[in-house]
Amino acid sequence: MLNTLALIFIVIGLFFMVVGAIGLIRFPDFYTRVHATGKCDTLGEGMILFGLVLYEGMNLVAVKILLLVIFIFITSPTAVHAILNVAYTRGVEPWKKGDERR
Amino acid sequence: MKRPSVYQYILTFAILMLFWYILSGYLEFFYIGAGIVCCGIVTLISGDLVFRSDVRIARSAHVFIRFILYIPRLLAAILHANLDVAYRVLHPEMPIDPGIVTVDTPFRGDVLRTSFANAVTLTPGTVTVDVIDGRFIVHALVREAGEEDLLKGRSIERDLARVFGEGDQPPSGETGDL
Repeated sequence: MLNTLALIFIVIGLFFMVVGAIGLIRFPDFYTRVHATGKCDTLGEGMILFGLVLYEGMNLVAVKILLLVIFIFITSPTAVHAILNVAYTRGVEPWKKGDERR
Repeated sequence: MKRPSVYQYILTFAILMLFWYILSGYLEFFYIGAGIVCCGIVTLISGDLVFRSDVRIARSAHVFIRFILYIPRLLAAILHANLDVAYRVLHPEMPIDPGIVTVDTPFRGDVLRTSFANAVTLTPGTVTVDVIDGRFIVHALVREAGEEDLLKGRSIERDLARVFGEGDQPPSGETGDL
């Protein structure tokens, strides 16, 4: 039962990771690509790790993985913010609808 | 800034020690002793980092508990945001119309600003690009939807203001000046 739940979480997480990768390829410019990877990877990693917590059961390893989930949810948006901030201050122009893909 | 009190040192040390135990997993004398030495040094160097001396601990605890209670709603919003992005990624015509949105908030605390920036990054179609004082420069995947959420709806802003007990009078009805 718990294993099935873990499997569901991991599969959903994988789905979001794949979507993030596809978005990285399909989206037209830097900012929109960061949208895809920043959001989908955070939730995808979080869900995969949470699935592993459920699979592992109640022990110290599960607590460690849970801590990883928490830290990913704090650091991942921060990293996205840092990358975007550099691009923005260096004057990377955002893509507008109708522009050529870069 | 005044010097950190003894309680701050003790609390910081306790948290570090708990973290050490979780990561090591051994309760033997050698490992715990090494942990006490390491955590002691870190506490002495940066005892003011976890609990700042200009913020009262009791108030921080309230904020912390309220924030924990807020997390389920944030997770629901994150899931919704991801489904939205997934839809836009997988849609054959890629219905995106990106643009920059500027959001003015009355937020002053560092933690509050960081939380808001991270929440904006994780929720519907927006990522925070820059923060200048209380002004957040946000890149929205769909410009209109981003403006709808951040300038008209302001649900994240209101929730976080309630969680942190700051900026309690969100500008209701009026749209943020761009």
